[in-house]
Amino acid sequence: MMGSEMRIHSTDISRRGMLGAGLAGVGLLVLPRRLRAAGPGEAPMTALTFDGDALLAAGPGLYRREDAGGNWTASPAPSGILALATHPERPGRIVAGLAEGGVALSEDGGRSWEARNVALAEGEVAAVSVAAGNSDMIYAAVRGDGLWKSEDAGRTWAFAMDRPWLDEAERDVLALASVDLASGMGGIWIYAGTETGLTRVPDCFCRWQDVQPGNAMDALAAGDAPPSTAPLPPGEPVQALASAPAPPGTLYAALPSGIWASGDGGVIWARMLSGAASAVAVHPDDEMRVVAAVDGALQQSRDGGVTWSVLAAA
Amino acid sequence: MKQKTAIAAGASLAALVGLAAIAQQQDGAESVEGLTVLGKAVTAEEIATGRDIYAETCASCHGAKLEGQPDWKRRLDNGRMPAPPHDETGHTWHHADKDLFRITKLGVGGVVPGYESDMPGFGGTLSDAEIAAVLVYIKSTWPERQRTFQAQVTANSEGGS
Ligand code: HEC
Repeated sequence: MMGSEMRIHSTDISRRGMLGAGLAGVGLLVLPRRLRAAGPGEAPMTALTFDGDALLAAGPGLYRREDAGGNWTASPAPSGILALATHPERPGRIVAGLAEGGVALSEDGGRSWEARNVALAEGEVAAVSVAAGNSDMIYAAVRGDGLWKSEDAGRTWAFAMDRPWLDEAERDVLALASVDLASGMGGIWIYAGTETGLTRVPDCFCRWQDVQPGNAMDALAAGDAPPSTAPLPPGEPVQALASAPAPPGTLYAALPSGIWASGDGGVIWARMLSGAASAVAVHPDDEMRVVAAVDGALQQSRDGGVTWSVLAAA
Repeated sequence: MKQKTAIAAGASLAALVGLAAIAQQQDGAESVEGLTVLGKAVTAEEIATGRDIYAETCASCHGAKLEGQPDWKRRLDNGRMPAPPHDETGHTWHHADKDLFRITKLGVGGVVPGYESDMPGFGGTLSDAEIAAVLVYIKSTWPERQRTFQAQVTANSEGGS
């Protein structure tokens, strides 16, 4: 890959120039050990995602590792990536939400990027997600504004839904996950992690509503005791959400209190790892394989979060 | 029918009681092809009745042309959502018949426990047959795609819960 082929934000070229000058000309390199240490793990990771077996980690820069045990390589990505999303049926397509506003899209695993902002509101994009059933359908949360959707992989955008209303105020969405569970409204759910907890909206954008057991309404109608639940700790921000393609009820959430997991679409949660968590991702083919950024280190689990090992430390 | 009545009687919410009653009012009149509500065929007369009720009871919020309140995707200052359109630009057609019935009779809290909204429940002012008629009128305005989609959602909701 030649430097001229890298379509990145012009503002980033100069900023990256310092780190990237030596690398950009020859394209992807295995980072020297010294640089690798300055890669994922040094500052809190803001986003993690799998692209097939490859893992992408965004913090001060974007890094990619082809498979377990491989080396990290720096990607010439726009700076200030707050969120990453991929789709299992669309290898190589990476969607990034940017601190400076807007969405960037790569079709080659993060090697080149294009801005995808036409008609999208200005403002930090802290969360992005690709619809489970349609890899061209992208959702983005714009800070201070609301939820936007694109049906053409980010080429055009339309406002979809205002921000959720929780604890007497509108709340910004920090994390999004398209969860392939039927909403009962002809589609599936979009889960949203906010400044003050978890909520969800059906993909018809009919209305925000709490995560409730499927039979909650029936129990209410029948006058029965409500089904048991174990929600995430109330009031805590949900920094990141990951939904396994299968089984789709498998969710992971990154909170200041740690990494939490649910096997039933978010009704019952359990804490799997303590520490300030900033990002989490689950492997597209293995719902037990999780990677998380906790207390400044990358942690990995192969058993759904029961045991963890450090993947790249500060 | 007997079984339905028994289930409904046990329910503390009255919403389901009406479903059976509506079944009885189709006597002979020509039914409209391709349109049902709550599993029953509907007549042109019923649609006309529904149109009148809509104009009188729903249009003030949802719009005379079912167009909804202006800027309906943006929350109001009170934190609640404006009234959405009932035509194909809204999302009414994503809801099963029984959910539309419950929402109209009980308010949105009838389908989402504890949900606060400006949508009043009409259980005290409209009969079950009148609610069904308004819904039939709304449904009659939808293009083919939305009608088919909503019929599928309705069918699924009967199979499922
Ligand atoms: C006082 C204003 C008002 C009136 C009158 C009113 N509505 Fe509503 N309606 C609303 C609001 C506001 C909502 C949105 C609630 C929300 O999502 O928070 C709504 C939502 C609905 C929905 C749910 C739509 C969806 O896709 O989620 C249905 C169905 C509905 N109304 C039917 C009716 C019918 C039928 C009538 C007349 C019998 C009626 N409404 C009269 C305010 C009103």
